[in-house]
Amino acid sequence: MTLTVKEELIQRSPLRVLEKSISGGLGRGNIGVLASRKGVGKTACLVHIAADKLLQGKPVVHVSYASRVDHIITWYEDIFKELAKKPRMRSALDDFDELIRKRVIMNFKQDGARTEQVLRSLEAMIVQASFPAETVIVDGLEFAQAGPGDIRMFREFAGRLGLEVWFSASLKGEEPLFDDRGIPRELEGFLGVIDVLISLQHHGDHVHFNLVQDHGRLAPKDLRLMLDPTTLLIAKDVRTRR
Amino acid sequence: MSSDIARMRNIGISAHIDSGKTTLTERILYYCKKIHKIHEVKGKDGVGATMDSMDLERERGITIASATTNVAWADHSVNIIDTPGHVDFTIEVERSLRVLDSAILVLCSVGGVQSQTITVDRQLRRYNVPFIAFVNKLDRIGANPFKVRDQLADKLGRNAVLMQIPIGLETAFQGIIDLVAMKALYFDGAEGETVRIEAIPDELAAEAAKKREELLDAASLHSDELMESILEGRATEALVKAAVRSGVASRGLIPVFVGSAYRNKGIQPLLDAVVDYLPHPGEVENRAIDLDAGGAERVLTADPGAKTVALAFKLEDGPYGQLTYIRVYQGRLRKGDELVNTRSGQKIKVGRLIRMHADTMVEITEAGSGDIVALFGVECASGDTFCGPGLNLAMTAIYVPEPVISLAIEPVDKNAADRMAKALNRFTKEDPTFRTHVDAESNQTIIQGMGELHLDVYVERMKREYRAEVTTGMPQVAYREAIGQKIDFDYTHKKQTGGAGQYARVIGRLEPLAKGGYEFSNEVKGGRIPREFIPSCDKGFRAVLKKGPLIGFPVTGVRVVLLDGQYHPVDSSDIAFQTAAQGAFRHVYMKAKPQVLEPIMKVSVEGPTEFAGNVFATISQRRGTIVSSVEDGTFSRVDAEVPLAEMFGYSTVLRSLTQGKAEFTMEFLKYGRVPAAVAELLTEQHLAKSRKESPQGRSERS
Repeated sequence: MTLTVKEELIQRSPLRVLEKSISGGLGRGNIGVLASRKGVGKTACLVHIAADKLLQGKPVVHVSYASRVDHIITWYEDIFKELAKKPRMRSALDDFDELIRKRVIMNFKQDGARTEQVLRSLEAMIVQASFPAETVIVDGLEFAQAGPGDIRMFREFAGRLGLEVWFSASLKGEEPLFDDRGIPRELEGFLGVIDVLISLQHHGDHVHFNLVQDHGRLAPKDLRLMLDPTTLLIAKDVRTRR
Repeated sequence: MSSDIARMRNIGISAHIDSGKTTLTERILYYCKKIHKIHEVKGKDGVGATMDSMDLERERGITIASATTNVAWADHSVNIIDTPGHVDFTIEVERSLRVLDSAILVLCSVGGVQSQTITVDRQLRRYNVPFIAFVNKLDRIGANPFKVRDQLADKLGRNAVLMQIPIGLETAFQGIIDLVAMKALYFDGAEGETVRIEAIPDELAAEAAKKREELLDAASLHSDELMESILEGRATEALVKAAVRSGVASRGLIPVFVGSAYRNKGIQPLLDAVVDYLPHPGEVENRAIDLDAGGAERVLTADPGAKTVALAFKLEDGPYGQLTYIRVYQGRLRKGDELVNTRSGQKIKVGRLIRMHADTMVEITEAGSGDIVALFGVECASGDTFCGPGLNLAMTAIYVPEPVISLAIEPVDKNAADRMAKALNRFTKEDPTFRTHVDAESNQTIIQGMGELHLDVYVERMKREYRAEVTTGMPQVAYREAIGQKIDFDYTHKKQTGGAGQYARVIGRLEPLAKGGYEFSNEVKGGRIPREFIPSCDKGFRAVLKKGPLIGFPVTGVRVVLLDGQYHPVDSSDIAFQTAAQGAFRHVYMKAKPQVLEPIMKVSVEGPTEFAGNVFATISQRRGTIVSSVEDGTFSRVDAEVPLAEMFGYSTVLRSLTQGKAEFTMEFLKYGRVPAAVAELLTEQHLAKSRKESPQGRSERS
């Protein structure tokens, strides 16, 4: 069977490498977290994960605690533009408008937004407005401010509605950020409510992905993925090991 | 009154609906001694605010047509246009912006930057209009001018800076602190007419100092002189004002003023700000298109000695005949002058020249460059340019969107029919987004416009102002048809019925054109179709595109490539080739995967967060796509794209779902494909209709 250009792009996506390393994917009812210092590229990764779902025709809700919706829209446009630069992809992305119809952005002001209210609105979007999302992206939630209780609420919600939820977590503390098992020290208290935890770290001039926890098991592992510094896409790390 | 251009201001007052701009205008007129009593918008005194000159506006509490008025403040002459807030009437806002040099953006201190504000901001950007902001309604519960300033920065990306801070808020709102003069201002007297200047209250001194720092920081970016003087600790009031003024002119700084028009607080300082910070007409560069030089742009000069250039931007039918509002861009306008309407080539003689106040007028003999006045008895359409002899310029065309909705109307009797015709003639001249035609098949009069409310208002005005009673049909969406793929055609038109015959053959292809519209490309070689018949083919295609075979709506996005053909030395004619083109199109159209397109509207709904879920549901029930939702504490806003066809009656639904606490705006976004099921329904309806209208028509053709 021959594959369409789009199918090929989906199959060869570095995100398939990620899925393979975490037992086939995050999975419904589970919480995944990308953790790093500010400015390393978490938002780019989350948008890439969302864009990959959209390409597969799967609806995504993008929850953001940042202030401007138009910035998020620009992120998506940029990521799709980068994807379109891959050989022969331009025509496959002609239906960009169609793809993007499957994405809803929900923006909350951090100070005013309690998790109960955020989940109420999310539920209204998915249930009342029948938006059939499977994946929810949550960018910019302050873990330190929210606490494990809030993440647990998200997890219960994800289980009830059959969603997989990817978070970004900004690490703000003093060095060392990670303990000797590679666990971000600020997130130690959250391990029980997180299913998959991945850290992003600078190694020289590249950003690497390290798997810290895989569906409840502590399983430190280099994911052999990196963030392409020019496109800000997740890419396979093809260089030889250090 | 001074005719010195430096002492002239042309300002618009733009805002979200219900942010209180009519109330604000009323107060301005009062303090400028144009009126001697204040009336509220929904006046209990039965009079209504002075600027809402139409009965209908008074009844609905909204401002529809912009009345212009002239006031004097601090020895300056200020022309004010009160612009409508509802998005259905944005053509009025756009026209006003075109003729104004600057604006006051009014914001509600509770609602802040709302969807309509964003629309207005976009228009201000499009016409590059410098403006100052006024945060109104500080007496309301939940008032927060600091939050509104932040929203101007966050949501609109404007470099907004507070020029004043309030003394108390909500019911405790007493006065304001001027951060330039560093004084407290209170407004005494029954109507706040006396401004009492005091020292800043001790408890606010620290905050005032801090906010002044912010103001100086922002202003100094626009003046090196101010920057230096701040460093030396000798920043004067004059230096700060000059720096802010220059920041406003470059659109790099938005000074924010505060107050409550309803409570008569903060209006006089706002008028001072108009004089201090907004540019005069001579400081604004205006361009015109030179019709004699192939559309090259010409910069106009405010020099009163130069030849006259003036723009008619609004027509109004008053009790004394047609009134034409005109802005002078160059030279001057004097009674008795002869001018040429460069669109029609008609000469006019300037008769009565009038300076307008909302409902009353003062006759004048001369208007200078930059002024806005009105003429009596001039035949023209809005958007026409008048020039002095020897000039042939047109002011840049004002952007006019295509209408998206139509309505069939029928007069109840013969008298009403005459009056209706008169009214329609007037309305179409006044408002370029309002159109009318008689449908050739149904013989019904069709009116077209930008939304349901837009057409409603004109139907009402027909009844009130022209006593033309009409019945209306169901609103009809302006659908479009388009082809989905390339298709070749080869069609021969042949007719032999005694006498001269008709013969024409056309060969070529139709191609979809993504950007819409129509293109015709002639690639016929070797005179296979004689040159004189090529335009006939073009004309034939244009004609047939006006009414698509699928659902009877115009076909857009088609490129016709004419490749080959045949003619007959005797029987070929202009008509024969036109008919052949039409035949060719009809013959292949259904094989080109024709599609039905519908107008998609950009819809914004704003209201308390508790109703967000209901709003989501209403959007998805209407085949809409939610683009984003923003929740800011108790306030939420949903942006969506929804087909216009599904939006009829939405205001009623929204009102009942949210106890009237949510409101929405919409504007045309794009044409999009309708889903297959809807397209099928429309096709069936069209078939049924055409069968009914021409029962024999079909058998004849077969």
